[in-house]
Amino acid sequence: MQVVYYAFTLVFFFFAYSVLNWGLNVQFGEAGILNFAYIAFVAVGAYVAGALTAGPPAPGSNESYVLGAHLPFMVALICGGLAACALGLLAGLIVFRRLRSDYLAIVMISLSLVAYDFVTNYVPLFDGADGLSGVPEPFAGVFKLNANSFIFVFDAFSAVVMGAMWWAMSRVTRSPLGRTLRAVRDDQDVAKALGKNVFRFQMVAMLIGSFYAGIGGGLIIFFSGAFNTSSWTTPETFVIFAALIVGGVGNNLGAVLGSLLVPVIFVELPKFLPTIASQPGLIPEIDNMVIGALLIGVLWFRPQGVLPERKVRFDNLLAERGGCW
Amino acid sequence: MTAPAGTGPRFGEEPGRSAPDGGASRGPAVAGGSAVGGLVGREEALRCEGLRKAFGGVRAVDGASFWVPAGSICALIGPNGAGKSTAVNLLSGALRADGGRAWLFGREVTGWPAHRVCGAGLVRTFQLSRELGRLTVLENLMVAPLNQLGESLFNIFFRPRAIKQEERRHLARALEVLGAFGLYEMRDSYARELSGGQKRLLELARAVMAQPRLLFLDEPMAGINPALVEQIGEHIQRLNAGGVSVLMVEHNLNVVEAICDRVVVMAEGKVLATGTMAELRAHPEVVRAYLGAAQSARAAR
Amino acid sequence: MNPYGLAVGFGLVTASILAIASVGLTLQFGVTNYVNFAYGDFMSLGAYLTFELNTAGHMTVWLAMVISAVVMGFAGVAADRWLLSPFTRRFNNLFYVLIVTFGLSLILLNLISAIWSPNFQQMPVATENPLHIGPFLLTPSQVAIFGVGVFLMFAVHLMLTRTKLGKAMRAMSDNASLAMVSGIDTRLVTSVTWWITGALSGIAGSVLAIDLGTITPAVGETFLFVIFASVILGGIGKPYGAMLGALVIGLVTEVSAVAFNSAYKLDVAFVVLVIVLLVRPQGIVASAGKA
Repeated sequence: MQVVYYAFTLVFFFFAYSVLNWGLNVQFGEAGILNFAYIAFVAVGAYVAGALTAGPPAPGSNESYVLGAHLPFMVALICGGLAACALGLLAGLIVFRRLRSDYLAIVMISLSLVAYDFVTNYVPLFDGADGLSGVPEPFAGVFKLNANSFIFVFDAFSAVVMGAMWWAMSRVTRSPLGRTLRAVRDDQDVAKALGKNVFRFQMVAMLIGSFYAGIGGGLIIFFSGAFNTSSWTTPETFVIFAALIVGGVGNNLGAVLGSLLVPVIFVELPKFLPTIASQPGLIPEIDNMVIGALLIGVLWFRPQGVLPERKVRFDNLLAERGGCW
Repeated sequence: MTAPAGTGPRFGEEPGRSAPDGGASRGPAVAGGSAVGGLVGREEALRCEGLRKAFGGVRAVDGASFWVPAGSICALIGPNGAGKSTAVNLLSGALRADGGRAWLFGREVTGWPAHRVCGAGLVRTFQLSRELGRLTVLENLMVAPLNQLGESLFNIFFRPRAIKQEERRHLARALEVLGAFGLYEMRDSYARELSGGQKRLLELARAVMAQPRLLFLDEPMAGINPALVEQIGEHIQRLNAGGVSVLMVEHNLNVVEAICDRVVVMAEGKVLATGTMAELRAHPEVVRAYLGAAQSARAAR
Repeated sequence: MNPYGLAVGFGLVTASILAIASVGLTLQFGVTNYVNFAYGDFMSLGAYLTFELNTAGHMTVWLAMVISAVVMGFAGVAADRWLLSPFTRRFNNLFYVLIVTFGLSLILLNLISAIWSPNFQQMPVATENPLHIGPFLLTPSQVAIFGVGVFLMFAVHLMLTRTKLGKAMRAMSDNASLAMVSGIDTRLVTSVTWWITGALSGIAGSVLAIDLGTITPAVGETFLFVIFASVILGGIGKPYGAMLGALVIGLVTEVSAVAFNSAYKLDVAFVVLVIVLLVRPQGIVASAGKA
């Protein structure tokens, strides 16, 4: 029975990381934005979604955070996504249009480090390093769930969310918008010379990706019931980049595959390995080193990832027209 | 060099490109352009006055003024370092000018960013072919049309049929353009796989797809074989016959003589002279700065 | 004592640490044209080497720091030779090597944690009595850090202006392809630059840990954005700009700690960074930007 519990936990993270990967894929794979602060957007989604359902901190407890409310969890989930969008808007206004790509990466990574530092120190915001805990279980009023059956139900819910977000992402990447984003990624000057408002398109990619990050973060906090600063250090952004690159940048299915290959197999699975008593952190540390090495290896030997970006063909558009072609 | 009948991009069939701020793009330009002397806007594709740009201490463009009559093919020639490419970059919005003004079909475009200038009808090519390498040839062309319905998130989710119809129209035109430029077979290849000459043709095809009113060509003949030079020259003339004004920066004076109606000579950041090649050959300063004695001797024969 | 006077004193110490770190980062950027995101972890590694030599090796902290710097220099060369340069040579696009440095950062951070434990440890700087020096109140170690900073800045200045290497580095920073055709051995200059950046990062990490009094694997990484702020303030790729940026950021953060809550003094550096980006992204020191 424990094994089933573990398996369904992994399944959840597979769904959640797929959503996260798609978000980063829009920003990085499609639009070429080196958002090294991605995890901060996930965190915003998690904190906001959690705080909006947990209600105000109980007086007398040593917890303190803002936004205490008792919103229904699906509303809170959407709000988390929108809050992440707000951060994306702010970041985009500062960095786009002014900075070339590695400069932008510097600012983004600084944003991530500062946000982490600030949230940890300024306890009234989201309870500092302790973070939120005791986030009420979704569906608690609707079904009578114990710990195990909750996982199945929430997995099913996450699968639905993932499916919906997959559908939305496919529409975007296959549309002219996706094509223009790729043009912006490949050569901004050419895009401008073809009349594309590069700033606007980068911002759209940023916002869509941020929304996905926020939703993913919300899903994670509702599954775990808690979320604190240890979940969103800079290495976490790296795990998502690694997942995307290994699975295949610019390919939505690759993002899903990457979610399986990297976060699930390399991050969540090792959490179930027995810890070494004398050096409790050793397994995660070796694990992280392996991920780093894996990514560097993939970049060298197969930079396009397992599932490379698909070549766009217009055959179906032609076929439907019928006749002369 | 006559345009073959029936082939080639057909202009005027698609709904006209609309500029981002809603101005109409085809037909007579908005009146009320330059108040400073010269022709009224509707007869000029482009006019610039007093363009200035300095890099550090170097004055690349130092008070350049010229105009391109609508419907003509003009050349911008001059020695290296004369400021030609910089002028093109300034006028296309890729660089911000330090001073001066510019008008496109009577509308002032001074200080406009590149994508807005493009929306007003100017499309440019680059000196070193800049194909979008990770997109296919066909995709390269499909990117070009301005203000596509499918670029808006709202439309993607709420008007998918309209997007599909527009895509089909663009696709039909793109395939025609590819056919005219001899790139139809390569349509599904990645643009980076093309040969140098094919990339040059792709860049031109992509510009055509964007339905320009004024086309800026930055050294279109540089570094390509003579057969291709002739082919590109024919394409340019066919475009011009369809109503597109052209300004090309060129060093190949044979081409300039063959297809250009008018030539603007720049040197040291300023415009030295304008006229036909024949007139310029007789112009002593132009000869001294650029053409050299051999050219003018040839003209004397 | 005037708290602002004290703050300026601390500011000068922070500025010294920052200057060493920033110059190291910006020199390498100038020559290689990409940012090394593992720089913070290089600093941490240098700090831990110093720590190890001082505790297990029983050397004085300052001698340990010198040896650590030399080792880190070679570590920098190794990282470049075997990891980074191959990527820059193979791929045209910068983003590959950026991700690789990001990955290297992850590997180094965890390697350090695995070897030395992820917990905070005491830097064995003896409990010292602070000295009164004019309006400042500084421990002897802090004065030493300031001295090291000034000395290294002067050394870098001499190197850049008086040596062939320095001129070659400046040439490559301005225009790499031109430098290559002018007969400069760019690969050699790149390697030597990495040695310098490695050494400087090691020293910077060591003095940072000495100043903080404690050491932890992420010590360099958490300081990274402050370094970025001072580098960008001065103009990325410009060593003298970096020195100036370090001075400004060092003073601003310490003075802000007096004026506001000191827990956020480093975050103030980020605010400065954002302001600089909004107002003058190419940095204080003007020239044709790499931005």
